[in-house]
Amino acid sequence: MKVHAATKEQTETETSAKTSLASPWNVIVHDDPVTLMGYVTKVFERVFGYSESKAHRLMMEVHKTGRSVVWTGAREQAEMYAQKLQSHHLLTTLEKVED
Amino acid sequence: MWAGRVDEGFVFGDLTEEVVQTLRGVPMLIESSDERVRSRLLPETCAEQQDEEHWREHAVPELERLFLSRATLVRRDLELLRKLPKSENYVLLVTHQHVNAWVAALNAARLALFALNDLTAEHMETEGFSGASAKQQEAIVRISLLAELQAVLLGDFEAPDDDGEPFFPDPVGDYD
Repeated sequence: MKVHAATKEQTETETSAKTSLASPWNVIVHDDPVTLMGYVTKVFERVFGYSESKAHRLMMEVHKTGRSVVWTGAREQAEMYAQKLQSHHLLTTLEKVED
Repeated sequence: MWAGRVDEGFVFGDLTEEVVQTLRGVPMLIESSDERVRSRLLPETCAEQQDEEHWREHAVPELERLFLSRATLVRRDLELLRKLPKSENYVLLVTHQHVNAWVAALNAARLALFALNDLTAEHMETEGFSGASAKQQEAIVRISLLAELQAVLLGDFEAPDDDGEPFFPDPVGDYD
């Protein structure tokens, strides 16, 4: 029983360490000269559930600076969001956040 | 060209042969195997090679299926184009259920035209138009035309569903 308890504790510690070491990922949308600005805003609202004002602000950041980090978080979810954005043809990349 | 709302969706009328020709090109553009189009519609997404391979393996096939299903849907709708009595021009109906697919398909076609004609951001500005070749100018006109349709349909582009319905369901059945 003692051995079992020790193994369980060790596993939990390893899992915790792995979780804390997993870097978040940025979902980045890049500007393109073709896609309508109103469309970009609507896609942000739809994909992330952002308010119209937040979606518009992010769209303007893309338009003015060439790119915007539109979401940051766990890799799996970042990939899901990137896939949704690319399904609407927004120019989207993923970037691991370095420590 | 005019556009109006009806109970079933949106109607686009007085579509000339040239406009219809541009619309018929939409599914073909989405299905293009040209590397310039493919690299824009399915862009490199991750900086690290290993991550990019993971992306290509897990995300891209589903995107490809979705794009092809949209192309099929648009092609089917275009087969229903009809001429009004005593008119040489056509009428197109885009039902509410098909709006999302059409909006995305029009965007894809516009991006494909941009890529295939080696256009730049400068070409898309008013001042840049005159510097474009005749072929590029024709592409810009088509891109603008498709934008007009897209802008009309955007009024019906759906907000997130409150009931948590998946946004990215089975691509084949997505818009049927």
